[in-house]
Amino acid sequence: MTITIALPSKGRMKDDASAIFERAGMKIVAVGNDRSYRGRVEGWDDVEIAFLSASEISRELGNGSIDFGVTGEDLVREGLANADARVEFCARLGFGHADVVVAVPEIWYDVDTMADLGDVAADFRARHGRRLAIATKYWRLTQNHFSGSHGIQLYRIVESLGATEGAPASGSADIIVDITSTGSTLHANHLKILADGVILRSEACLVRARKPAHDGDPVVDRIISAVRGAL
Amino acid sequence: MPLINLPAFSADLLAEFESLGTLRVDTPVIQPAEPFLAMAGEDLRRRIFMTESETGESLCLRPEFTIPVCLRHIETATGTPKRYAYLGEVFRQRREGGNEFYQAGIEDLGDTDIAASDARAVGNAMHVVANRLPGRRLAVTLGDQSVFEAVVGACGLPGGWQKRLIHAFGDQKHLQKLLAELADPRAAGVFGPEVERLAISGMLDDEARLVAHIGETMEATGYSTNASRSPQDIARRLKEKMELANTRLDPETLDLVREFLALDMPLGEAPAALFRFAEKTGLTLDGALARFDARVAALADIGADVGVIRYRAAFGRPLDYYTGLVFEVEVEGTPAVLAGGGRFDRLLTLLGAREHIPAVGFSLWLDRIEAAIAASGGAA
Repeated sequence: MTITIALPSKGRMKDDASAIFERAGMKIVAVGNDRSYRGRVEGWDDVEIAFLSASEISRELGNGSIDFGVTGEDLVREGLANADARVEFCARLGFGHADVVVAVPEIWYDVDTMADLGDVAADFRARHGRRLAIATKYWRLTQNHFSGSHGIQLYRIVESLGATEGAPASGSADIIVDITSTGSTLHANHLKILADGVILRSEACLVRARKPAHDGDPVVDRIISAVRGAL
Repeated sequence: MPLINLPAFSADLLAEFESLGTLRVDTPVIQPAEPFLAMAGEDLRRRIFMTESETGESLCLRPEFTIPVCLRHIETATGTPKRYAYLGEVFRQRREGGNEFYQAGIEDLGDTDIAASDARAVGNAMHVVANRLPGRRLAVTLGDQSVFEAVVGACGLPGGWQKRLIHAFGDQKHLQKLLAELADPRAAGVFGPEVERLAISGMLDDEARLVAHIGETMEATGYSTNASRSPQDIARRLKEKMELANTRLDPETLDLVREFLALDMPLGEAPAALFRFAEKTGLTLDGALARFDARVAALADIGADVGVIRYRAAFGRPLDYYTGLVFEVEVEGTPAVLAGGGRFDRLLTLLGAREHIPAVGFSLWLDRIEAAIAASGGAA
């Protein structure tokens, strides 16, 4: 059986992933020219490489149309319901670090925990005639964190496709759930992370789609141990 | 429109609704999604079927009837009191059972006799379920958030804690967590470094200065002072939070709240037991208990079988528009909830009604009733 590994198709993620595979003894070469979206691994004839965008990789892992993918844990957990039942996080690769966090305006002196936020959300409607609005592109992670872990139901998600950190100042939402690596963008927008507001500490991972055909396939095990050995 | 998959007893049920003095209404299957999400919270999004109109308006398949019936009432402005009945299909993503199923029910809007209309809702629900399942003994669970509100009010807790506890009522896990936190002398609120600076500068004791400082900071950092929380909101809640952090529940009061939440008894015994509880603990619950007793009396007056109703003090729904009575009807010894209802006095104003409209109602899970009929050997 041919095993398909999907890697990020551009940027730092692509370079960092290729470097790890090379250290793992799996040197990746593009098929055709440099810009090609297909590749192979030198000396591994039963493995092929697909270059996809990071969010496509998470989707294709869910569909099972690829066997392995390198992508951010945040994208997998956001994109797939019951992620752990559908995929296996085989290795954390040590790059692409980003935390998914709940951030509120710094000026909210009275809000430093999710419990504080719960209080604010509870009578938000009575005071402002609408629910507390959260700007995010992480619907699933937000819902799990707010309703599942902290019993907060009374909020609305405002979909944000970019520049989420600007939403509170522009008035399009009250707070945000977004990724941050250094916190400097949040700080520049006068936002602070709640003490218990880190939803997920994400990084790039080698992720396997759980497929019955993988059981007892020696190539699958070899890929996992090669990558783990290179970390 | 005749539908061939209607439960066989639908016609009988509708005839009964009519004999109970209700007006049958229908509402469109395709509804604006906004009111459902605004009322029930964001969690509902995963459980409803959403789509979009060509102009980008969020629409959903009707997930329940209460909100559409209330919206229809507000739009048609026909005055109160009104008793509406409905029967139709609702659509929800469920873990068990189909995604489309029938519900029927009654919404009683604008009756100011709270005890009588509460009793009528419980009594009607029991009546129509019992008529579908002759010979089966029902089991009804009844709760009342207003009694819990009176208990935490009488305990002398600061407003912020009362709100937290009341908000968690009905969510047993969350409520117990809050109580444990409230009793733990080590748990204090988390405050940022900025609050310490404000304390040192004396600003925390001078609300006007604090509000001005917050307002100036917001303007300097490009935040609007009225789009979201205002400087007054923040200053007021900061004060409330400091109270929260400084309040610890003494063990006696904690035991008392837990003892209350553990109350579970036949409804007929509940008025005397609540009276004894108030007397023993020294809490003043007079108003809430008088209303509770009046409802029990009203149930007896309309001839409801009070013997099958249990009062469970911790039973509630964690939705902010449920204000008092909640109840569920089952067949004794089986877990399926066949009917559920309660009082939602806050819903109509939340939905945009200009005047306060008290409201109580119930809905029937017709697929579960069909299954119960089949299980007891009848034809569904």
